[in-house]
Amino acid sequence: MSRRKKNQQQVATRLLVGILGILLVMCVVLGITGISVLIESFRQPGQPAASPEVNTHNATLTIAVSPEKAVLLKNLADKFNARNLRTPDRQPMRIELIELKPDEMVEKALAGQAPFQALTPDSSLWLDQLNYRYAQAQQTEPGAIPPRLTGDGVRYAVTPIVIAAWENSARSLGWPDKAVGWTALQTRAQQDANFKWNHPSTAHASGLLATLAEFYAGAGVQRGLTAEMAQDPKTLEFVSSIEKTVRYYGEGELTVIQRAAQEGPKYLDAFVTPEQLLVAFNTGVFGKPPARLIALYPAEGTLWADHPLALLEMPEPTANQRRTFQAFREYLASAEVQKEILRAGYRPADLSLSLTGPDSPLTAANGVDPMQPKTTLQLPSPDVVVVVQNAWAVTKRRANVMLVVDTSGSMRGEKLANMQIALRTFLTQIPSDQERIGLVEFNTTVTSIIELDTLAKNRGALLREIDGLQANGNTAFLDAVRTAYRRLQQSSDGERINAIVAMTDGRENASVITLQQLVAEIRAGNQKTPVIIFSVAYGSDADMKILEALAEASGGQVRIGTPETIRELYKILSSYF
Amino acid sequence: MNLAPILVTLGGGLLALILAIYFWMSASRGGRRTQAVFFTILAVVLLIVAAGLGWQRLGPNASSQQLVVVPRGPVQVRVLVALPVEPWVREAARQFNEKGLRQDGQPIEVQVTAMDGLAALGKFDRNEFGALTANQTRDQLSAQERQKLETTFPTVWIPDSRYLVELANALYKERLSRDVFLTDGEYRARPIAVSLFTWGLYSSRAAALEKKFGKIDWQVIHDAAIAKGGWPELGGDPAWGFFKLVVPNPRRNVGGLAAMIAAAGEYYDKPNISVAEVTDPQFQKWLKELMGALTDVGGASAYTAEDFALFGYSVGDGGQLLESDLLNNMAGIQKRWADPLVIRYPKYVTWFDFPFSIWMGPETTAAEKNAALQFEQFLLSTEMQKLAVAQGLRPVNNQVSITAGDNLFVQWQSQGIEAVVPRTTRMATPSRDVLQALLRWFDLNVGK
Repeated sequence: MSRRKKNQQQVATRLLVGILGILLVMCVVLGITGISVLIESFRQPGQPAASPEVNTHNATLTIAVSPEKAVLLKNLADKFNARNLRTPDRQPMRIELIELKPDEMVEKALAGQAPFQALTPDSSLWLDQLNYRYAQAQQTEPGAIPPRLTGDGVRYAVTPIVIAAWENSARSLGWPDKAVGWTALQTRAQQDANFKWNHPSTAHASGLLATLAEFYAGAGVQRGLTAEMAQDPKTLEFVSSIEKTVRYYGEGELTVIQRAAQEGPKYLDAFVTPEQLLVAFNTGVFGKPPARLIALYPAEGTLWADHPLALLEMPEPTANQRRTFQAFREYLASAEVQKEILRAGYRPADLSLSLTGPDSPLTAANGVDPMQPKTTLQLPSPDVVVVVQNAWAVTKRRANVMLVVDTSGSMRGEKLANMQIALRTFLTQIPSDQERIGLVEFNTTVTSIIELDTLAKNRGALLREIDGLQANGNTAFLDAVRTAYRRLQQSSDGERINAIVAMTDGRENASVITLQQLVAEIRAGNQKTPVIIFSVAYGSDADMKILEALAEASGGQVRIGTPETIRELYKILSSYF
Repeated sequence: MNLAPILVTLGGGLLALILAIYFWMSASRGGRRTQAVFFTILAVVLLIVAAGLGWQRLGPNASSQQLVVVPRGPVQVRVLVALPVEPWVREAARQFNEKGLRQDGQPIEVQVTAMDGLAALGKFDRNEFGALTANQTRDQLSAQERQKLETTFPTVWIPDSRYLVELANALYKERLSRDVFLTDGEYRARPIAVSLFTWGLYSSRAAALEKKFGKIDWQVIHDAAIAKGGWPELGGDPAWGFFKLVVPNPRRNVGGLAAMIAAAGEYYDKPNISVAEVTDPQFQKWLKELMGALTDVGGASAYTAEDFALFGYSVGDGGQLLESDLLNNMAGIQKRWADPLVIRYPKYVTWFDFPFSIWMGPETTAAEKNAALQFEQFLLSTEMQKLAVAQGLRPVNNQVSITAGDNLFVQWQSQGIEAVVPRTTRMATPSRDVLQALLRWFDLNVGK
């Protein structure tokens, strides 16, 4: 045998041994996998064959979280997940979060198809409302123990609701020499037309508190508010007169304080917010503060945002999800997390942590007083709270809104189709048919106008117009805004919020009026009847300079949307009215 | 259906079979037989496993039958525990589980779920735990129902008070004609710790009230509650607002019910209260005025002692609360609000005794019931009773003292805590009708 042939045989033998080795390893691995699966199946006595949809061993817990603490909770959930805890049957304990407004949590839970197994709204009052409405639906008799949809809430962080005012505004209201309350704020807003304040809608704890305070004042009581008192025409008239002083509503406390950080005192003089956000503002979380905000603890009493964490009992969570809930609850109560919660500006549930210690941001320098509040407003029973929420929809400041819609050639295709969906969403989200909405369509010129009228009368015409929009021509954006602006000025309706939601996707190239002329007209006109312009830049080609100038001149905002986000953006904008 | 395990095992088996054939062929040409035998055995084992899995997943009784007799897991003791003793019982359960004790040769695992006594009673009432009906047996349940029973049905209930056990028994007596929690014998409901209801007030507020009215009692609290001018009228700081009473919502926390019973006792100056007395319009007017001072009528919290500590004097100037809850929060309150609590004992005292109540129905196995007994003995041991004292509870084991050592009772004597409370009269356990009349009144007048 030649040496070459011998070498070839050796190589072939080695190759064969290698292949056999690999096959042996594969056999063993596959065998062990199969046997372990079989053994595992024996370890689960009495388990029905699980369908892919219902995993009875699932240990992943989805928690609905309110927006103002979503960042903090995400951070904590990530750290918890990084611990790689497991249940006794070796399932990974994981926390997933879904961001929802508290009232959305309530509605989804009541609908029975909640995409979460636990929830942490900003206040326990949402849990009360959820359980109250659930018990009502079950038609529980008086004297019987009502069923509950949630387990008992646990608290990991609390913060009082305060009136945030710029230091100068706070001093003008009497701080720090005298206690400032809801009455002082309401009186000031009624007497001083230039005083701008805001509270969120009753979908947020702070908005609900501000509204409750108005109902108490309107009913002339400080305790024992009843549904009858809340529905009394005199009370409603009083609340309505106060609500007319609100600049506009909006998305919630977080957005308001972010805008306050961007725009400073010219944005609002005072607004209702959780103390924690005020601390975050003053400590630079939203950028360098343009001035210091002061927390005014209402003399008549406030409410606490107590951020409960509760398990939803229907549909029933798995035993492992309960274990994950318990583990996460214990994690939130741990010293390390409680210190982090304090650093974020909350008052931690762990009472051993000092609010006045060196690590606490709850200091006078940051505008707060940890020994406050001294008293709280009496929170009525859930049925009265529901009445107040419903009555607010009637008494809230009404709005005149002109929608300005770009149908120039660049809007063709998906852009226009998504815009039409967004406009329909806007109309659906407006809470009352008594709001007045109009529409100006433009391309090379203003092509169509639907005059302002209540949604009750105008909805059909608006929907027909939206459905019939077609893209074509150039962009006469400024002319269209002026058309809408003049309509609102002509109505001279100072009792309502007057606003334009003006959208464009391209460069101005066809208007008769110039930007300078329009800005001058807006500045002059707003002295008489303020009209706020929400400028919407749709896509990356929009002329930001023009949009910013219009928003700035009217005290409005610039918002940026894309075909993917435009529907959500218009939904958000609807919350301002 | 997930067929991956079957396919994986089958694949492994076939691979091993191919290799076995190859080696047998090699062996026939003079090679070694060892490898051939090895792969043959491996192939047979894997193919049997694959067949077993296939039978289990695809056979005629795939969804309900296991291939072989299922080995028994740990004996579970699922304990539904009232909130005031939850931290203690949970810690005890942890220590118990670590000991690795066994029942009938199987390890015992104690699982603790916290739930207010009234909430648990409501679940028993609505049969949300899935108790069997009088004519039903476990064999009649579907696999899913049986699984639910075996993973969620409480083996033990530790409610706040024995009258909740009596209410539960009354409910089930109507349905099953027997008690589900025994009152005598080895498995009887047995108290594991005691805590009294006491007055807890912020010292600044207590000083103002005592200066104006003298000794704190329900009448003083009532008079403070109806003061139209609030604290200035009572001699306090105007910034304190109105007098704010802290009493748990009786719909959310059985402590609220206990407070209403205590108030009725003082109103009538006697320890036994009847339905006629709690439905008396004069008494109800007085009670409504008193309850008008609640800060949170809706009952945002089930657990008011926590509110008292977390939200301080802003939500409550004082109230009648469980001594153990107050003791556990004394230090925290002092630290956070710079105004310590003072404790005052009422003339008519109500208390919770946290009876360890083993469910006696067929929903739980004999092994589970006996394992529960082991856990009960553990809770009553000197070591665990000392742990209870450390958490502000009064022990039921005579070997354990609350006056010895550095415990919360000793630590807070200066704030009014008394180890022995001799001057009080014990309120009698109210009847079910009295409790329901009070709850109904609350629903219609306060918490509606």
